[in-house]
Amino acid sequence: MKEGYKKVERMTPAMRIIHWVNVLSMIVAIATGLYIAAPYYQTFIADSAVDKYVMAWNRWGHFMVAIIFDVTSIIVAYLYFFSCFEKPWKKVIPTPTNIKEFFAVLINLITLNRSKNFDSSHSDSFNTIYFAIFHLLLAWMLLTGLQLYVHALASGESSIGAWWPWMLHAMTDWTIPASGWINGAASGMSSLMDVRITHHYTMWFIVVWVVFHIYYQVWRTIFWQEGDIAIAFGGEKFVKDKEA
Amino acid sequence: MAVDKQESVKSLFTAQSAKVDTNRGDAYYEKLYAQCRARLDELKELAPLNNRMDFKESIEDEGLDRRDFLKWASATTAMLMLPASFTPLVADAAVMMNRVPVVWIELSDCAGNTEALIRSDGPKIDEIILDIISLEFNETLLAASGHQAEKQLEDAIEHFKGKYLLFVEGAVPMGMDGQYGTIGASGETFHDHLQRIAKDAAAIVAVGSCATFGGIPAAAPNPTDAKGVMDVVKGKPIINIPACPANPSNMVGVILHYVLTGSIPELDSLLRPKFAFGYRIHDNCERRAHFDAGEYVEEWGDEGAKNNFCLYKVGCKGPMTFNNCSIIRYNEGVNWPVGVGRGCIGCSEPDFWDKYAYERPMANANIKAPTGGVEKTVDEFGLGLLTAAGVGIAIHAAASAVAGKKESEKEA
Ligand code: HEM
Ligand code: SF4
Ligand code: SF4
Repeated sequence: MKEGYKKVERMTPAMRIIHWVNVLSMIVAIATGLYIAAPYYQTFIADSAVDKYVMAWNRWGHFMVAIIFDVTSIIVAYLYFFSCFEKPWKKVIPTPTNIKEFFAVLINLITLNRSKNFDSSHSDSFNTIYFAIFHLLLAWMLLTGLQLYVHALASGESSIGAWWPWMLHAMTDWTIPASGWINGAASGMSSLMDVRITHHYTMWFIVVWVVFHIYYQVWRTIFWQEGDIAIAFGGEKFVKDKEA
Repeated sequence: MAVDKQESVKSLFTAQSAKVDTNRGDAYYEKLYAQCRARLDELKELAPLNNRMDFKESIEDEGLDRRDFLKWASATTAMLMLPASFTPLVADAAVMMNRVPVVWIELSDCAGNTEALIRSDGPKIDEIILDIISLEFNETLLAASGHQAEKQLEDAIEHFKGKYLLFVEGAVPMGMDGQYGTIGASGETFHDHLQRIAKDAAAIVAVGSCATFGGIPAAAPNPTDAKGVMDVVKGKPIINIPACPANPSNMVGVILHYVLTGSIPELDSLLRPKFAFGYRIHDNCERRAHFDAGEYVEEWGDEGAKNNFCLYKVGCKGPMTFNNCSIIRYNEGVNWPVGVGRGCIGCSEPDFWDKYAYERPMANANIKAPTGGVEKTVDEFGLGLLTAAGVGIAIHAAASAVAGKKESEKEA
């Protein structure tokens, strides 16, 4: 270890597992989602329809990662409030300290690391809010996705019982008017297509989010020189020892 | 605009989807049966209106026999999502359709729904029923014109006050004080015409996409500010039977339901009867196996088209559209749009012309970006967003490389 630095833990093993599960799921969700949107490769398999099943496998993959996202999101939501490690909600509420810290980090980013005067040993407000945006985008994906999905269960039945479509309707039907509202549909004139449109748009916002996310982690690693990128792998980074 | 926003927030949390409850238990159906029986007995006492045609004679004239009729009655019972024990009631109700007065008006439309119901290959039972319903007034089918026609309408309204079903075909142009559409010798606007006749109706049935959601007249840029009936008439029961044209079987279904129970059928959040619009086209489509296999028609007339492949890539909107045409089809089950090889254009959904009826998948179609402005595909919008983010990052990265201060440099 470099002189004058100490190790701090930033991500618990559970958080890191969730992180990498999300990464893989996101890649699959985008690849299959884009195929569902407009099948971009053709099946040159000289086989009967039932064997190739290309769209069906894409949809299956999409729904499988959707369920994984559901589970990880519920865990993340729980940890948000009840984690023994760090409780992120304490960093997203607009208290004077949080607001000050948020802008301190942002200004340091804009001034190319000329004003790094905040505590970088824990997850700062800027970081936490940036991740909160991701979780909100993902939650919207889940809700709109489940709304698109539940209409395939038109009978109101499913292999795991009638409660499942019932619950999905109860939880996600409001995304139809909400999506219509986002798309500027006249009131009372929204339909399932609006949900599909916003589901697709939101994918792009997530892609942009990911691109900046990766850039920012690399940038931080280079300029802060605290090994930030290692957080996602070993769970730890380094900060200057105050006493040193 | 402000009211519009409030309304949409309200509807945000009160939306109801098309889920259908097809089994409500014996107690429910027994009660309903008794109620229907009583209502039919009551109707039986009434004389048929205006010496309307007799149903039994009509079907015999058309060369159909009682077996055809009973087959139709059991199919219709199933369509209305009633148990099989209701079949005799449905048959009775069909015979008594000539006891419920119907007024049919046309606004901004092409008369396609009227056409749909009078021009099938040969009158089958649905069409005969629409023939014998007590159609007190229908501009397209009317012999009278001018003041005479208006007089006839006024008589019908006066005579059947509070009892008639008002069928509306066509959108309501609201722009320029409604001057885009006027009717009759007095130059009454469509809007005033509708309001006047709606006032004394028992219920309103909006048929076709224009009357329900504004349809083609309301497509962007909607020059006449056309609106559907439900946006204009308040305080009356309204039933929407969208589609372009509305399926005559569904019109009969709604009237039958009214004759049978004296009430309107269960509706979804867009006021469409669930018995007809509780199904998704895609789930009952004969091309679905090709969808799942990834076998698509790539362009009109290609090998895929010759082999009845799925029409998704030439824009079929079956996955997003609720209607029963993939089940009951049109013209007494002869065929339906996807059956003849063109995709569903979502004609039974709001804003269908702008949001569904382009012949390519949604992802490849030009739609308005959330910000309004220029029309783009969602992917063009997304790539634009990504480019903007990329440019921002590139500038920041370049600036950092040139002028960034690493921690170690600061100390040094
Ligand atoms: C965050 C990750 C996700 C991404 C990037 C994503 C992306 C997409 C895209 C691009 C489409 C095509 C939309 C179009 O027609 O243009 C789509 C469709 C769809 N997505 Fe997602 N999605 C995600 C999560 C989910 C989740 C969590 C669900 C929940 C079950 C879901 C369910 C669906 C459904 C049902 C469709 C329509 C499929 C069909 O009609 O066959 N998605 N998704
Ligand atoms: S043709 Fe349309 S409704 Fe039929 S399976 Fe293909 S996408 Fe679905
Ligand atoms: S297939 Fe689609 S577009 Fe065609 S009539 Fe049915 S709902 Fe309308």
